[in-house]
Amino acid sequence: MSSVPIMRLDVVSEFPYKHSTGETIGRFLAGLKEQKKIWGQRVAGLGVVVPPLGYSEADGSAGGEWVEVKPTGVVTAVAVVHEAVEGLHPFPAPFAFVLVKLDGADTAMAHVVKDGVEQLRIGTRVEAVWAPDEARIGSIRDIACFKVAS
Amino acid sequence: MNEPPKEPVKYVETTIHLPYHYVAGDVRARYLHALKEKKILGARCSKAGKIFVPPLVASPESFAPCEEFIEIAACGVVTTYCVVNIPVIGRNIEIPYVAASVALDGADISIFAMIQECKPEDVRMGMRVEAVWKPDGERQGDHEDIQYFRPTGEPDAPRESFLHRL
Repeated sequence: MSSVPIMRLDVVSEFPYKHSTGETIGRFLAGLKEQKKIWGQRVAGLGVVVPPLGYSEADGSAGGEWVEVKPTGVVTAVAVVHEAVEGLHPFPAPFAFVLVKLDGADTAMAHVVKDGVEQLRIGTRVEAVWAPDEARIGSIRDIACFKVAS
Repeated sequence: MNEPPKEPVKYVETTIHLPYHYVAGDVRARYLHALKEKKILGARCSKAGKIFVPPLVASPESFAPCEEFIEIAACGVVTTYCVVNIPVIGRNIEIPYVAASVALDGADISIFAMIQECKPEDVRMGMRVEAVWKPDGERQGDHEDIQYFRPTGEPDAPRESFLHRL
């Protein structure tokens, strides 16, 4: 069979999602945006859960008392990304996905560390870096990233 | 303040962004190059004789190779269709529009096509249509080289002639 020149096409698929937050995560995000505060909920059997769910995953009981936690905490898991996917990942490589147990919380929250990833270990202390006032929109990325605590 | 704001954030918007590099294989590249020349290529199954458009390397039915390329007419019959009344984000087509399967003359399967130059309510199974190509010099060798299909005005094709190639 005769050959033809290689044909290639660069295309971008985009899926715009609008995800309803619900009451509990909605108020958690409003706290980030309007108060620069991180809120959790004290629920049966688990202590202070961040981000809050509005119920206990231990026994299913509803509700929970709102508790403010600190913007500092300790890394409980870390995965360094060396090959970032443009448009998907938040930063160019290297950056790290981490679980952070914030001071005052009993559960760890997923987030990202932009700089100094080579220093990250389980147990490394980190602190939240807030997005500028005008850039906070009520999103988990109102915390722009975490950084290794000085 | 001992609690977060009473008024919750209602929603978050996240856009999944997936950049692809699509590389056409040899067979598909030949088909796309031919579109530039206003030609539609099919391939004949070496075992069953069935003609596939766009051409395939092998028949998905008999698994036999489809090595013979055949030029297919740029006209055919609407086998089935759908009037689209709901806009899709990222698609700049005026609604309502008609998305159809068109079995080209000589092909044993149909291709996806838009039907225009007629009212959506006038489209029907069996309607004879022809390709409307992009003007010379504007065809790029992609699926948009055929802009759409339009009615030819010929009498409708009988159902038996296309029901086996929907």
